[in-house]
Amino acid sequence: MGVVHGQEMVLNIGPQHPATHGVLRLQVKTDGEVISEITPYLGYLHRCFEKHCENVTYEQVIPFTDRCDYLASMTMNFGYVVAVEKLMDIKVNDRVQHIRVIMAELQRIASHLLATGVFGLDLGAFTPFLHMLRDRERIIDLFEMTCGARLLYNYMWVGGLSHDLPKGFVEATLNFLDYFEPKIDEFENLLGHNKIFVERTADIGIMPAEVAINFGVTGPNLRASGIKWDLRKDDPYSIYDKFDFDIPVGQGIKGTIGDSWDRFYVRLQEIRESVKIVRQAIDQLPKDGDVHQSMPKKIRPPKGSIYSRTESPRGDLGYYIESDGSDTPSRLKMRSPAFTALGVLDEIAGGWLMSDVLAILGSLDIVLGEIDR
Amino acid sequence: MSEDIQLLIDDVVAKALAGDMDPINNIEDRVTRSKAKAALVKAKRFQPQIEVDSKSVQAAEKSDTESKQTIEQIVIASLSKNFSDFLDGEQNNDWVQIKAENWFDIAKYLKTNEDLYFDSLQCNTGVDLEQGMLESRYNLHSMKHLHAIEIRIKVSIEKPDIPSVESLWRVADWFERETYDMFGINFTGHRDLRRILLPEDWDGWPLRKNYEEQETYHGIVVPKVKEGWE
Repeated sequence: MGVVHGQEMVLNIGPQHPATHGVLRLQVKTDGEVISEITPYLGYLHRCFEKHCENVTYEQVIPFTDRCDYLASMTMNFGYVVAVEKLMDIKVNDRVQHIRVIMAELQRIASHLLATGVFGLDLGAFTPFLHMLRDRERIIDLFEMTCGARLLYNYMWVGGLSHDLPKGFVEATLNFLDYFEPKIDEFENLLGHNKIFVERTADIGIMPAEVAINFGVTGPNLRASGIKWDLRKDDPYSIYDKFDFDIPVGQGIKGTIGDSWDRFYVRLQEIRESVKIVRQAIDQLPKDGDVHQSMPKKIRPPKGSIYSRTESPRGDLGYYIESDGSDTPSRLKMRSPAFTALGVLDEIAGGWLMSDVLAILGSLDIVLGEIDR
Repeated sequence: MSEDIQLLIDDVVAKALAGDMDPINNIEDRVTRSKAKAALVKAKRFQPQIEVDSKSVQAAEKSDTESKQTIEQIVIASLSKNFSDFLDGEQNNDWVQIKAENWFDIAKYLKTNEDLYFDSLQCNTGVDLEQGMLESRYNLHSMKHLHAIEIRIKVSIEKPDIPSVESLWRVADWFERETYDMFGINFTGHRDLRRILLPEDWDGWPLRKNYEEQETYHGIVVPKVKEGWE
């Protein structure tokens, strides 16, 4: 922590604190109400993900990826299977690709709903949180219908999926989208244009674009700083190049580009774009195709390594896999987007008031399971 | 399997792939018929793959003719003008293996050179190569030119020193702390090299292949990995 000057005080936030989104300890040095330094202490949720992966086969890693980012398990599965498929040079059929995109985008909606809802909750707005959880519940019902699980799915497998879509899924999803689309405007009015919320977030915790790139911040946080960068467009994986959607970026509508309100607003706009993608994917969904068609009997990637990244709701999710030709990975590293997002906290929160720290932390949307792995 | 049965199976499978299932269903002998069906399933499984493969091979050939040099060759050529004796051992088309000594200067060059401009450090991975060697791997990416490269630096386990690049890419601050935490690679010049995920007073480097857990930690018995657990 270094030298503490006469006027300064050291405060601990966490490890058990409702606003730290998990178990995270922040050691905050304050001068009166003004923050001078924040030191995050991580690792309270460290479960040796990478060490475990060296002892299990490639298929058995998938449930571990679920448990890293438990709010966006589908996209965690997605990133992993894309990496292993690239390493083994497996091509999956169109139906599998479309189902994967539908699931990933529904998951993105669910994750952003929780992120924005909890962000409001951190600042004392309880009602929007309930509205958002109510609608997230309906997405989780769709997932339960598909694979039986509500939070940790283990749905995407290397070369395919665990199940095909159940009967009635398409209708149920379209029903949900019809119900949900008008609600997005409601959320925007309810939370985004709420005077108290705007006062608490606009012009607070501004992250300039250079800082964001230098600190490796990705995803909605980077886009809120005004950089149009989305792996779904810029380095398309799966079949994202087939769809027509926009990348929302921060415009500084209520304050400055890259402030906390922009980070909130970019997420809300991304929900709209994800709805668009799901609709297109359902339209184009091929009628036939076996979801187990290209699943290898034994997963033994050839010797070599790969670094593959996909766009999770929190940003660039990278998997570095080193294979020695056996059926267990010899090294598996997960590059977590929330890890780098938390790294920037000290830089952007310095100089703000104590109460703003929670606003800034909430706007970064971190998940501790993924940070600590 | 005799040769004419094999020929018959090849023939009916080719017909079935063209959309005519009748020849298979008309085979009298049950064993031959099931063999033919199995061959058909196999052929169908490999069919889309072969199609896409030929496409990707074509695409690769095309891009080869368009840009003759890979990014690795460009980087090595560009570095050779400014640094001498920086490569370490044999080179590969997928990465650039360099020596640890002047990594900081090379990294600075990679980040600031106008043509290369690797402004973002995507990932830093430690790897235990065994036989007394550790490796640190950097995945760099340029958001301006949209190219990416992997840099590898090998160090011995007795003296695992690599210059830190934390002051160039601030994201490396936590990445290097994590690699230090898991592998014990010492990043010299890092302003705050502490363990990040494990407690400060933990013993050993967990992701090394020869790691053994400590017996007790603050009087708590550390559970061992169960034998035969998968």
